[in-house]
Amino acid sequence: MNKTTTTKSNLRPCTWVWLTLMVLTLAVLTVGQMGLGGVTIVALLLVSTLVKTHIVADYFMGLKQGRLLWRMIIIVYLWIIVSMIGLAYWLGIS
Amino acid sequence: MQYQSQAVAKPYFIAAIGLFVGQIVFGAILGLQYVMGDFLFPEIPFNVARMVHTNLLIVWLLFGFMGAAYYMVPEETETELYSPKLALILFWVFLAAGVLTIIGYLAVPYATLAQITGNDLLPTMGREFLEQPTITKIGIVIVALGMLFNISMTVLKGRKTAIIMVLLLGLWGLAIFFLFSFYNPENLVLDKIFWWWVVHLWVEGVWELILGSILAFVLIKMTGVDREIIEKWLYVIIAMALISGIIGTGHHYFWIGTPEYWQWWGSIFSAIEPIPFFMMVIFAFNMVNKRKRDHPNKAAMLWAMGTPVMAFLGAGVWGFMHTLAPVNYYTHGTQITAAHGHMAFYGAYVMIVLAIISYAMPLLRGRAAGNSKKAQIVEMWSFWLMTVSMVFITLFLTGAGILQVWLQRINENPMGFMEVQDKIAIFYWMREVAGVIFLIGLIVYVTSFFIGGDEEEASS
Amino acid sequence: MTQSHTKISQYPPGDFAIWIFIYAELLVFGIFFLSYAFARSQNVELFNESQLNLNRISGAINTLILITSSYFVVRAVAAIRENKSLLCARWLLAAIVLAGAFIGIKLFEFISIYSEGISLSTNTFYMFYLSMTFFHFMHVIMGMVILIAVMLKAKQGGYSNEDHTGVETGASYWHMVDLVWIILFPLVYVMR
Repeated sequence: MNKTTTTKSNLRPCTWVWLTLMVLTLAVLTVGQMGLGGVTIVALLLVSTLVKTHIVADYFMGLKQGRLLWRMIIIVYLWIIVSMIGLAYWLGIS
Repeated sequence: MQYQSQAVAKPYFIAAIGLFVGQIVFGAILGLQYVMGDFLFPEIPFNVARMVHTNLLIVWLLFGFMGAAYYMVPEETETELYSPKLALILFWVFLAAGVLTIIGYLAVPYATLAQITGNDLLPTMGREFLEQPTITKIGIVIVALGMLFNISMTVLKGRKTAIIMVLLLGLWGLAIFFLFSFYNPENLVLDKIFWWWVVHLWVEGVWELILGSILAFVLIKMTGVDREIIEKWLYVIIAMALISGIIGTGHHYFWIGTPEYWQWWGSIFSAIEPIPFFMMVIFAFNMVNKRKRDHPNKAAMLWAMGTPVMAFLGAGVWGFMHTLAPVNYYTHGTQITAAHGHMAFYGAYVMIVLAIISYAMPLLRGRAAGNSKKAQIVEMWSFWLMTVSMVFITLFLTGAGILQVWLQRINENPMGFMEVQDKIAIFYWMREVAGVIFLIGLIVYVTSFFIGGDEEEASS
Repeated sequence: MTQSHTKISQYPPGDFAIWIFIYAELLVFGIFFLSYAFARSQNVELFNESQLNLNRISGAINTLILITSSYFVVRAVAAIRENKSLLCARWLLAAIVLAGAFIGIKLFEFISIYSEGISLSTNTFYMFYLSMTFFHFMHVIMGMVILIAVMLKAKQGGYSNEDHTGVETGASYWHMVDLVWIILFPLVYVMR
């Protein structure tokens, strides 16, 4: 199996993923340092977590290639975890 | 049988079955004493019958594990056992110690037994499941160390397979954790904490390694699937068993005076304890689907397939049912625990020992692959009789437990313990009926060994 | 092994067994996350107040470190796919050094929390904070051990573009350790 042809094209998106992750992490830190909270902020943080974990799974872990089942397990997991955390925070407000 | 020294497994298996019969007879007595409190009193009081029932279980399972080890090790390491003679000597030592202990339980009051055996010098008696006199405990350690020496020396000179390494790890763990039965602190909380190091870390830790390796061995032999695939599964299963099982000890630390964080740790980690059992189910059925041959020993196959399923139900599902701290707050020490205990021990450990016996015994008795068709049919009947009646025992005890929790703990006007016991007597009666059917199943099982006839031809 | 070779595109990168393991691990962490979130909903004030005491900066630095370390592992896998064993080993070494930095910073965090007299029994928030970060900490150590083993084998030329399942196996596990932290950091350090 010869994978050399695909290596270069695989690497570039990963570099973008890395940069995106760095930027989003710094954004999260900024939110934390400003002591922000509340529904909107929590929602934004959760969405950014979902984005970050999604791209780690798809590009770093390479789940985008290969059978859909393996990718779906993680995607479904991430959506369940993030939305349940959202639900718990919402319960905490009301 | 490929190696002469595998023959030492035979007496171990026979003793295991013999003690199994004793355990079930006492189980039936005990079940009746739940509803007829003075049955056989004062000859066999309830507490003695209970002690004999649980101790015999542990001892015969140990006989089964040792027999399995002596059978598997030569075949896996591709060399004769280091010392078959030592194995036989240890067999007689263990059997004598076991039988004498049981006779001691039955013949004299427990306090007298403690006095006779010099419990004052090194007090270890009087704790559930560890009731054995100190000298018996020392005997168990000697037998276990002797066996470990024998097996480890064999492994050192032979082929080292993953299955044998896992088995060895399990057996070493079994011996090492048993040493905590000699530690008997004054402080009740500490006492309980370390008591679980024997009890929990046995059945939800190292015994699972033994279970996994025996199951893997039987599946390799019966399905002919590549060792590489089976070993990979074994690694994942034992990794999960250890991760969940070790910290899962916390589910026993809920209400005994330990810090509160154990409620979280115990709940979270024991919530994943069903996973390794679930993996075992998928593993076993996957391997059978991939099988490269149809082994003529259908009965052994049935036991091997039944083990993960019943273990998952008994240990996984019934364990999870009451493992979370908020639930356990109400169910702690009720008949729910008894229900879980029965099915978990049967599904995980009784069935795996019967599986290896069913696989190995025909070979030890000089047959090419399996017993005659007639004998196998009888054995499969015993499988269904015992398994189905165990399901019913579990269901009836669960019913009793739910009612007990409701009347005694949740209800606005909670009743006293004995009052509740009267209310749930109907469940105990039904459990006793199921228990008698289990005993009949066991008799059928023993009968299957005495049925001759032509052996099944091996087909590949 | 011929069978797994033809099937390799069907599975995600790495050994089949590691994926079973990764999914099981994710489940454990998932239970931890949800327990935290729902325990918090019962006691919002306590959690919010205690959370302020955490060192967010070191948490964020550790996030950046893990992400970068993960990216280095991606480079290592790319290198071995081009048959460059030494380059692969070097990227892995870089990832391991960063993992060591994570461990160092985390230890510093644990020590400063400990010196404040905080323990598992202080309150439910700290119970979760200490349990979850320590459990993750152990996974970082485990991941480091795996990466070191892979690096040593890569150095000796044990992998090639044809056969590098071992590298992918280690990489997948390391990405899981990263993935979990990416959820843990905002959840425990920031979200309020």
